[in-house]
Amino acid sequence: MTAHQGISSAVGRRRFLTRTVVGGATIVGATALGGIDADAAFAAPQPSLDPAFAKSSFVEGRITRIDGSVLQVLGSHGDRACVQLTNATSIWKGEPTTAAAIDTGDGLYARGVPMPDGTVAADAVWVNIVNMATTIRGIGKNRLHLSHGHHEIVGNVFPGTTNASYAGQALTSDLSKLRIGQHAQVLGAWRPSDDSVDVVRISVGH
Amino acid sequence: MESLTSGLASGLASDLTSSLTTGLVPALVPLVLAGLLGWTGAVKLFGRGTVRQAPKTALARMLRSSERTVLVLRTVGAAELVAAVGLLALPASVGSTAAAAPGVAAAALGAGFLGYLARARATAPESSCGCSAGDDAPITWRTFARAAAVLAGGAVSAACALGAAWMAEGSTGADGAAQPWWTVIQEQPFVSLGFLLLSSAVLVGLSADLDRWWRLPLRRFRLRLFGHPFNSAAAGGSAVPVAATVELLERSLAWQAASPVVRSGLVDHWAEDGWRILQFTGVYEESGEEGGAARPVAVLFALDATVSTDTTAEPAVRVAIVDADTGEAVAAELLSPAVRPALPLAG
Repeated sequence: MTAHQGISSAVGRRRFLTRTVVGGATIVGATALGGIDADAAFAAPQPSLDPAFAKSSFVEGRITRIDGSVLQVLGSHGDRACVQLTNATSIWKGEPTTAAAIDTGDGLYARGVPMPDGTVAADAVWVNIVNMATTIRGIGKNRLHLSHGHHEIVGNVFPGTTNASYAGQALTSDLSKLRIGQHAQVLGAWRPSDDSVDVVRISVGH
Repeated sequence: MESLTSGLASGLASDLTSSLTTGLVPALVPLVLAGLLGWTGAVKLFGRGTVRQAPKTALARMLRSSERTVLVLRTVGAAELVAAVGLLALPASVGSTAAAAPGVAAAALGAGFLGYLARARATAPESSCGCSAGDDAPITWRTFARAAAVLAGGAVSAACALGAAWMAEGSTGADGAAQPWWTVIQEQPFVSLGFLLLSSAVLVGLSADLDRWWRLPLRRFRLRLFGHPFNSAAAGGSAVPVAATVELLERSLAWQAASPVVRSGLVDHWAEDGWRILQFTGVYEESGEEGGAARPVAVLFALDATVSTDTTAEPAVRVAIVDADTGEAVAAELLSPAVRPALPLAG
């Protein structure tokens, strides 16, 4: 399949899925599932919690090797694991992406189902994800200078991609209210090459 | 024009040479060094932060005792203060080899600091160096550079004192003799002030514990002067980012209803006709049948692309669960409204 065919088939599939969800799909609003008042206690039993949850397993560590769709992972405590990517696996590396974006040496956090052969069939993979409490030490043109404990960290900012949340409000792409000296919770993607962090979400004022 | 330029250049060069030969740098280096050692020594010896800071230093790891660390830090602080006083009170102009002692002591302290830092960096890189109490910054190249500056300053001071002592033994003339720092400042106040300011600025720049006093205010001032680099108009104005839509979805009843099926994180998202479509993958296990097959499904949510948790708490969300292979809608019962039996009435 050529790249062009791949793109056009992806667009076609999106169109199909859009029709599925927008045309004739169930609208779930506050009333659709029954109220959340006390009467709801007598209502038909709600679906149980995710039956797969108890069977889920977690893998974290650094990717030491990539064999096709299998990632060899060396855990932080010296343990080893194999993570199998599937067509249904969601892959996050700063944003939803594909397996092609994963590199050897990346950090990984994966959730999935253990297979009989010892591999973990991943449902979701987060690559290089970091979530840390920081203080804003400087604001540059395309970057934030952050301190996390003793560490000085450069946070790369991509206008339009990096989002901020002020005092618990909804996420916005407006970063103009960030101030030097603020405490900020930063969710981002670590860049192993220069040890900086691509800031995805920065929350201040809570 | 060319002759004027060359004349100016030669004049400047001769001025610089004469200032060096008349001893401006050798006279002022001990003064700058005394300032640095006096500050770090006093903070270590008298500062209340020494006790608080001692357990966090690499020295505490080496000595395995906080009390011993405090004792060593206070002793080193006292030694730094003595060296600082010596550097101020015994300038090279004394003309005796004894005048070299403070410089030698400072150089020895600098060499000791470098050795300690190298060991600390190897054994406990996350610890602070304890170079000045109240400083909890880890050991970086700046810490090494400051220790090297102490070593170099001490060596220059000692060498100048020894040179002056030899010159004093060899001749009686006053020409070319070293001058104490107070005479140099009196004779060349502007050049001296410039030198002191420059060298102090370098040392402050090398002191991580002073950053909060100048670096942040400077950066704040720069923002005020040149404006905030992230202005709201450039960021796409009021458009709701995808992450905000996902946040809204995850707080919705639709998400609660569909969450038993959803297994992945966000796989794909796109916008169409004002809708923002969010796609997840999951597994639907049909209930009611023995050993019901688990079907891989795509879980789709459609939300208004312009709303967020700021504008609504209960968004209307369209949900579809379709078989990943056939595209057939499944799990309708999961999304249908719950049927509640009527409650018996009292009386």
